[in-house]
Amino acid sequence: MNNKIPNFVKTNQFGLLILVIVFICIFSFSTDGFTSRFNIYALSRVVALDIMIGLAMMVVILTGGLNLSLGALGVSAAMFGGWCMESIGIPISITIILVLAFGSFLGWINGFVTVRTGVHSFIVTLATMSIYFGFMTLLTEAEAFRKLPEAFTDFGSLKLFNKYISPLLIISVLTCFVLYYIFKYTDIGRKLIAAGANPDAAELSGISVDRMFIYCHMLSGFLAALAGIMLTARIGAAIPSMAGHLGFDWLLPAFLAPVLGGTLLSGGKVTVFGTMLGAILVTLINNGLYLIDVGEFWVRFFLGIILLGAVLLDRAREYFTVKNSIVS
Amino acid sequence: MSDYILELNNITKNFPGVKALDNANFKLKKKSIHALLGENGAGKSTLIKIITGVYNQNEGKLFLNNQEKSFSSPNEAMNAGISVVHQERNLIRRFSVGENLMLTNLPKNNLGLIDYYTVAKESKKWLDIMELDIDPNTIVSDLTVAKMQLCEIAKALSLESKILLLDEPTSSLSPQDTKNLFALLKRLVAEQDVSIVFVSHKLEEVFEICDEVTVLRDGKNACESEQITNLNRQKLVKLMIGRDEQIIKSKKDIDFTDENLLDLQSINTDLGHKNINLNLKKGEILGLYGLVGAGRTELIKCVLGLDKINSGQILLNNKEIKIKSPKDALEKYKIGYISEDRKKEGLILMHDVLSNAGITVWSNLKKILSFLNDSIVYNKVDPYVKQLEVKTPSYQQIVSNLSGGNQQKISVAKWLASGTDILFIDEPTVGIDIKTKSYLHELIIELSLKGTSIILITSDMPEMISLADRIITMKDFKVVGETINNHSYEEMSSSIMRNIHE
Repeated sequence: MNNKIPNFVKTNQFGLLILVIVFICIFSFSTDGFTSRFNIYALSRVVALDIMIGLAMMVVILTGGLNLSLGALGVSAAMFGGWCMESIGIPISITIILVLAFGSFLGWINGFVTVRTGVHSFIVTLATMSIYFGFMTLLTEAEAFRKLPEAFTDFGSLKLFNKYISPLLIISVLTCFVLYYIFKYTDIGRKLIAAGANPDAAELSGISVDRMFIYCHMLSGFLAALAGIMLTARIGAAIPSMAGHLGFDWLLPAFLAPVLGGTLLSGGKVTVFGTMLGAILVTLINNGLYLIDVGEFWVRFFLGIILLGAVLLDRAREYFTVKNSIVS
Repeated sequence: MSDYILELNNITKNFPGVKALDNANFKLKKKSIHALLGENGAGKSTLIKIITGVYNQNEGKLFLNNQEKSFSSPNEAMNAGISVVHQERNLIRRFSVGENLMLTNLPKNNLGLIDYYTVAKESKKWLDIMELDIDPNTIVSDLTVAKMQLCEIAKALSLESKILLLDEPTSSLSPQDTKNLFALLKRLVAEQDVSIVFVSHKLEEVFEICDEVTVLRDGKNACESEQITNLNRQKLVKLMIGRDEQIIKSKKDIDFTDENLLDLQSINTDLGHKNINLNLKKGEILGLYGLVGAGRTELIKCVLGLDKINSGQILLNNKEIKIKSPKDALEKYKIGYISEDRKKEGLILMHDVLSNAGITVWSNLKKILSFLNDSIVYNKVDPYVKQLEVKTPSYQQIVSNLSGGNQQKISVAKWLASGTDILFIDEPTVGIDIKTKSYLHELIIELSLKGTSIILITSDMPEMISLADRIITMKDFKVVGETINNHSYEEMSSSIMRNIHE
């Protein structure tokens, strides 16, 4: 309406940034210890993981699909990593490469089955979630790997920037920049977005949509595996239940971050930094509510409410896109 | 006072940055068929949306039966007796005809359940008035496109509508169905006290059934309630576009004994094409004519590898080729396809102009590590977007915000940019204003003169006869005739219709 307002202000990210600042202010004043070095360090470790799983979900939402197997996949990859390091003694760097490849492979299975059967990825990943988690539990006999190399676990508890920030957060933020670069400045990134926005039009324009969708699922697996490694480093052990039963604990932040960030559930739009801000907001609320001491139940309650609100926001966004298109 | 059923006086409607309507008038006489014409973006849709309560005007008044009204929702307008039959079907495809007709007021029995007997009986009444031989229990998706259209009109009648707005009602109908529809409309006006607002880009139709014409240009009246008898085609076009229409004809000599560039030999497909043989010469425009459902678009999609070819061969320059996907067609064989459905298959509406125009060339433009930025794409597509005179505020504009004509230009531009040797062009001017239409015609001819070989699918007979060098007629997934075009409308159209009806 008003052309004097700079475009940035009208974006979803700006609204999120304001919210983040508002919540930081609220929690700083209303709680003790929110701004303490200990709490900020703890926050940075949690937010690093939330960003990563948010991104892992975002790249599948891009296709108009979902990846429910995210948590199971991430934990399976992490357990594989624990086994590589502890039982076989593979060096850390090679283990990380293997784990990421393994995650991508599990993602490839999700993508391949989705594309070949034409069944919605919701159903496919619901099934693979159970399969991956089941297999992992079977092979590990539900035992954790607790004797990981010290260099690996030390990294997880490293403190940077005057002991305020975990290096895990730096990995997540770097990943954001890499993804942003891919979607903005590469041929393949553009094709992924085009395929997600309108598969028919993309296919007829000479894009192999099936392949793009498989790439998205592989990328999702890759990022989930990376999140798995990060969690292992943070805890200092690879534990089958570290993301809850079937990896459920990851699902809520995985949805919240991209949807709050402005990624359309119908696909075709990515907001990498929006997802990052979304993850930060979720972590803040989570952490703040714990500090206020409202109790576990209320935290979950509020996060559920926020997810519903975010989905409504998603509807509104689509509605306004349609409204805008009428005016021509 | 007056014999107008609907009267809009000095309507002005502002949108951010645009005055969509500027003091426009529209007066609909009782029991008349009134054409509402104008180029895309002239304000027709806005006017219709004000009549049907989707928008409210900023200035001006609306009178229904001499009473001032203002509708705040489409529902209110509908209750006041105003119904729209849209281009897009508004029926629930899995419901029966009867259920669709009675949807807003389903009769219930004593138990509060739907009384299907009454549904059938009541809806039959409306179908009978329209002399439609359809069983109310038929599921809508089993009907032909033409019958669905008629059911929509029946639905409007069942709501006791006295004003019917028909938006491009014939765009997917065959000539025969169109004739039936017009007969019905005339009868409705005569017998049922209905008044009709008719929106169409096909001027022949306007002259055939309308009594009066209102033309909008740039949101203003170019003419207001003019008697159709005072007008002819030239005058009408001049009113719409503000200048005389240019008629184009392809003038070129194709040597039909030349070697074939593309050759389809005895193609049978999964979709039911039987023994299709056709060939395309270099620089030729080969027309594929047929009624809706003749299997033309489907054939092209099979050639592009989207559906399976069961037997037969495709030769390119006398070498057999296998096209696995549109990607294959574009990258290996330089074959492109401009879809008939620009909204679903041609464009990514939610993305901007630059990424829509550049989508076919990304692969070619990418640098090391698949690097590609906006300015590389811009440099490549800009000449084509400029050449096509696409009107857009910027390359960052979302395509769905552009007018239909400009959208179509973008879906053409991306294929020009890709530099294909062979282009399949499917219904290039459906729902496009006259100015853009003749522009696209010129462009297609120019392309073929420069050596691009084109297979043109169109159901618009005048378009086919002015553009094609040779016309293949298809019916029921078979080729039923081939004629070299001599650009004489009478001869060609009767020869094509003979092919179809033999």
